[in-house]
Amino acid sequence: MPQRTASYDYYLILASVVVLFAISAICIYGMFSFKFAQVQNMAPALKYAHMDRLNAIVAPFVVALITILGICIPKRLLPTHWLNRFAVLLLTVAGTVGFAFGAKTALLLILAASLLLQFAVLALALTGSQRIRFERTGYWLRLGSTLMHLGLILFVLDLYFYPYPTLHLALFWATTGATTLGMLFCFYAQPLANLLQPENKEHPACTE
Amino acid sequence: MEILNDSLLTFTAAGRIILAILTGVAAFSTLWGCVNLCRRQPLLPRISAPLLVCAATLFLAGFALIIWLHGQIHQLLPLVLPDELVPWLNRQLAAINRSAAYGLPLYDPAAPPRYLLPPWLENEKYFFWFLCSAIMALFAHRRMASHRFRAALHLLLAIQVGIILLAANPFAAPLPRFFAEISPWFAEAAPIRKFGLFMQLYPKLTFYYNAHYMWVHPPLLFLSYSAITIVFITSCLMLSRRDPAVETLGYDFAKLGFLALTTGMLLGYPWALKAWGPNWWWDPKICSSIMLWAVFSTYLHTRLYANKPVMWYFSSFLGILSFAAMLFTLLASFFFPGEHTFQ
Repeated sequence: MPQRTASYDYYLILASVVVLFAISAICIYGMFSFKFAQVQNMAPALKYAHMDRLNAIVAPFVVALITILGICIPKRLLPTHWLNRFAVLLLTVAGTVGFAFGAKTALLLILAASLLLQFAVLALALTGSQRIRFERTGYWLRLGSTLMHLGLILFVLDLYFYPYPTLHLALFWATTGATTLGMLFCFYAQPLANLLQPENKEHPACTE
Repeated sequence: MEILNDSLLTFTAAGRIILAILTGVAAFSTLWGCVNLCRRQPLLPRISAPLLVCAATLFLAGFALIIWLHGQIHQLLPLVLPDELVPWLNRQLAAINRSAAYGLPLYDPAAPPRYLLPPWLENEKYFFWFLCSAIMALFAHRRMASHRFRAALHLLLAIQVGIILLAANPFAAPLPRFFAEISPWFAEAAPIRKFGLFMQLYPKLTFYYNAHYMWVHPPLLFLSYSAITIVFITSCLMLSRRDPAVETLGYDFAKLGFLALTTGMLLGYPWALKAWGPNWWWDPKICSSIMLWAVFSTYLHTRLYANKPVMWYFSSFLGILSFAAMLFTLLASFFFPGEHTFQ
């Protein structure tokens, strides 16, 4: 079992937990509202209105999740004091863009920034660089964690491109590939390291 | 349909024998589980593993029998149309395909459509789920020698056998909804009625029964349900004692469960687009699955800090909550309307 003390990561995890709980609660509300409103028997226009209403309810929490993601990703690259500055800068720029061009553009900006940074983290993880900051060590574990978070960003970005079927499906398969590979690398880092580098069995390539 | 009668009789008779033996094993498991759960010292520890091996073997035998029946359905029940209807049908299918995002294959008289049913339809899905649980229980049993933990595994297995016997027996009346759907086809002789029935059966055959996604989306979810059940047992044990070995065992199953749950849910998405189109967001089952994923994902995040006493108990509470969310997700299919409903 990992031994950890409170850190920036810890508070980001607590924030993610709160947002995920809120999304869960909205999902339960969505189930009951679907049943009691008999949405399955509604005309398509009313069905879309129901979906729009629930989208509007969940939107602030998805925005919060995207923002946490936006703050979470550079923590691999920057020390804490720079991270705070980056978070303030990101929120200021997103707020300004949101005010000028609308919330969707601001979210796209956060997602694009997150995606670029995550690709940078991925490149560093792939080369085995020690410059990225992970609480856990090990090549496959870091690569897996990076891919999982890349999958999450791609998934949210994919929802953004829902009206464009070809791009939407291509992004979806990229999401699925990144997430599944990420989970395999992250959860089974040690067996994978043993499989690929059997001579390193006594010097594990990962620790949790 | 008469052509399948012999196979159905064999299936039911063999299934009855398997279930009778499984009931006996489950009775011993219940007894062993109850006694050992209450005792400080283990009683007859040596029979624990053989009982679980017996149960897993019987589940495997039952599953093989289900696969055999599906093979018989594939071989003996093709949807053969009278030759004079084929050109007309293919013109209709071509016209439908022109305006559909995902088309139906044209009818080929040399190779008429056949059902390739996955072995987790209707009540069979519970049998598959509990088969996965029995195999996972064996692995968990090997990893942890605690007699109380093992007793919990036995009781879990007994409850699952009870569910199969009382509410979800796949052998007593095999695939009732599937056979209710296809029976009119095999009873009907008039070509025009046959054409109408074909147009009802063929889309469901293509997009549901024979869909490639059917072979990955449901089994991955049932695999995750089994892993979450083991996480539930370890989480309950974590509440009673702070043993890192229990937490590590739970985490190992949680990793497998999360991998299967996430991949399974993701692979349901393109299938839903193909089979239902875009109009299914906020479907109750989708909502409950996202809720389950969010709770389970929270459990995986909090266990990173399980060295803190508060987080230890919070993490075990979330493990139990994930199990409750899983049950809720399963039961949602019965009580909430929508695309996944079992109503």
